[in-house]
Amino acid sequence: MKVQPQYSVMLFKAVSYVLKAEKILKKEGLPHKLIPAPKHISSDCGICLRFESAMQNKIEASLLNKVEIEEIREMTD
Amino acid sequence: MSKTKTVDARGLACPQPVVLAKQAIEANEKIKVIVDNDTALENVKRLGVKSGCDVKAEKKSDGTYEINLTRKAGAVEAKEEFIPSCVATPAQSGPFVIVISADKMGRGNDELGYVLIRAFLHTIALQAEKPDVIIFYNTGVLLTLQESEVLDDLKELASAGVEMLVCGTCLNYFEAKEKLGVGAVSNMYDIAGIMSRAGRLLVP
Repeated sequence: MKVQPQYSVMLFKAVSYVLKAEKILKKEGLPHKLIPAPKHISSDCGICLRFESAMQNKIEASLLNKVEIEEIREMTD
Repeated sequence: MSKTKTVDARGLACPQPVVLAKQAIEANEKIKVIVDNDTALENVKRLGVKSGCDVKAEKKSDGTYEINLTRKAGAVEAKEEFIPSCVATPAQSGPFVIVISADKMGRGNDELGYVLIRAFLHTIALQAEKPDVIIFYNTGVLLTLQESEVLDDLKELASAGVEMLVCGTCLNYFEAKEKLGVGAVSNMYDIAGIMSRAGRLLVP
């Protein structure tokens, strides 16, 4: 088994924000994955973007002033 | 009036045993019901509880059950109608199959549908109860290509032993056979065969 990288999730207020953020990250070539929001994290829209925690600064910078991020959390499991 | 009335319901099909038991307990203080299957046993026990009886069930060495129902003093008649359940616990025979018939989940909005199908497959990959087989056809095959955004989830499922069948006709139609990233190219014989034998078929 390969070692799992440390992941974080980015939560948004609405599905449309997630999609907008996803489009930007795709265009910038920043690796990410759309996943259901983890059960223990309350989220209005139920989905979120997962990314390697090491990428957080780059990802945040690319979304700055373009998409409103609600919250970023490290994934525990 | 304290004599026990015996109802021999062996060999009778559901809901006969519980219907006979109901008639008997309405006319007698104490009854003994003999049944030969679990469904009848459960139904008669439920009837007893609902009609205010003491219920004692005993399994006999020959595989039958004796259920003794004794009406409790001052028990009121059951107000609600007793509905026997004739559905036996379904035997899980065939494989658990998931059919991915599109690269979207649900109908209505395609953009949303694409979000949902990705979330669905990711969840299935994390879930303990994995399917035996996943079948992909029509635009569903696009999810199995190398550039697919759910490729990691599908590979994880494949390495957990889930069989992935990808419609060859569909790959051909999309001119994508060379780009297949996970699963085995399959045909309608296998696809229709497995769907027909499925114990459970889930189409998101």
